[in-house]
Amino acid sequence: MDLRYLRRRATNVFNLGMAVLTTLLGLFWLFWILFTTARYGYHSLNLRLFTLDTPPPGAAGGLRNAFVGSLMMIGVGIVAGTPAGILAGTYLAEFAGRKRIGEIVRFFNDILLSAPSIVIGLFVYSVVVAPMGNFSGLAGGLSLAIVLLPVVVRTTDEMLRLVPSTMREAAMALGAPYWRVVLQITYRAARSGILTGVLLGVARISGETAPLLFTALNNQFWSTNLARPMANVPVTIFQFAMSPYQGWQRLAWAGALVATLAVLGLSIFSRFLIRQRNN
Amino acid sequence: MSGAASLEPKISVRNLNFHYGKFHALKNINLDIATREVTAFIGPSGCGKSTLLRVFNRMYALYPGQVATGEVLLDKENILDRRQDLRRLRSRVGMVFQKPTPFPMTIYENIAFGVRLHERMNKGAMDDRIEAALRQAALWDEVKDKLRQSGMSLSGGQQQRLCIARAIAVKPEVLLLDEPASALDPISTLKIEELIYELRQNYTIVIVTHNMQQAARVSDYTAFMYLGEMVEFGDTNAIFTNPSQKQTEDYITGRYG
Repeated sequence: MDLRYLRRRATNVFNLGMAVLTTLLGLFWLFWILFTTARYGYHSLNLRLFTLDTPPPGAAGGLRNAFVGSLMMIGVGIVAGTPAGILAGTYLAEFAGRKRIGEIVRFFNDILLSAPSIVIGLFVYSVVVAPMGNFSGLAGGLSLAIVLLPVVVRTTDEMLRLVPSTMREAAMALGAPYWRVVLQITYRAARSGILTGVLLGVARISGETAPLLFTALNNQFWSTNLARPMANVPVTIFQFAMSPYQGWQRLAWAGALVATLAVLGLSIFSRFLIRQRNN
Repeated sequence: MSGAASLEPKISVRNLNFHYGKFHALKNINLDIATREVTAFIGPSGCGKSTLLRVFNRMYALYPGQVATGEVLLDKENILDRRQDLRRLRSRVGMVFQKPTPFPMTIYENIAFGVRLHERMNKGAMDDRIEAALRQAALWDEVKDKLRQSGMSLSGGQQQRLCIARAIAVKPEVLLLDEPASALDPISTLKIEELIYELRQNYTIVIVTHNMQQAARVSDYTAFMYLGEMVEFGDTNAIFTNPSQKQTEDYITGRYG
């Protein structure tokens, strides 16, 4: 065979091999994490985990208050962060276009997107917790909303800009006003993409620990009062895993496992939505 | 350079100039579009034929920096007038684009969307309107059992006929077709051409096309444009058999473009 083609094939084999190797390297760590979490966590994975609250050292208990607190604060985060994020993303994609103001807003949104979440926690501490005089679930939810906001802004912006401009033109050509084009045509075309972005953002905030440390703190007891400190999974994991008590450490692993599975499930569900869209 | 229409022209273009920012895209265009006839715009890429088409429904107004000056009279009313209501104009002048643009909704809703923008009617009247539009677009027989399916599920040629049905359902007077068959296979193209032939009984049609055979087949009048100028305009037979301008002859014999 011609030497030139032999060299091309060798180059191809080499590059393909390297790509496969690096993929395996990435997967290796992921599966190690999943495996470790499952190995230490599954012992404590039982019904009591969801029906009992966090125990004092040495006693039996579960993580019910932490799960409920986390869900409530994530709920506050979604309610406070999603509408604003979708509206801002809509402004960027549909109205700001390539204008200077759009570029500026996108730039600052990207900064917020990569801001360390502990800074966001400190910020909410100084504007909500300090004036209110105590840590609270509401402050925790707000700090999660600020983490979620730039993710939603960015995906909404990107998903709407993927809608071909010919579709907008076609609707305008029928005599539709622009607001109706956005509400009935482009939102519909970008719907599953935006929903996927929100879900991935929710997956991201459900593991955030740093913003909650300064805002919701934690609560050993059952509480659904958003004005008081609130139990949550990440901070509980942090405290229990660092403790010398075996029972607490087991609960920390179980909490880690449940949180990981929930995020995994959410990510798989959003992948599923993307596939639905492509079909 | 004047149109050979015997009736009053539907659209009269007078001293039209068009700028994309600093680029002078249309240079002093004068033209009459005949009522209920098919007028084709031909010319090489970038000659301004789509730009001219997009002036007739003010589509360009969507983008800043695009400016038209002069007069475009639709039934003697200047549509470039600042007071022109764009929604009313677009209900009178429909448009079909190069690529099929079905909306992400059912076939039924695709057509109802445009109708609802301009008229209120009950379900029965809407059903009738949609059936009539689909029949006129020669699509009814293929979709009558799946009106609740997504418009995106149709083939490319069917999607384009859906877009034509959508435009017709609003009951426009003029139909603008911007290379409506260039993204379609030969059979679908043939169907669209037959459709254009039928539609000319009720509508004034302006079609932009790259395909000279298509212009010759479907149109009554042809305008040849080059570098933003209207080089020649007249009866399609005359343009293709006996062009008066050297540039036109060079283009239709395939010497450039």
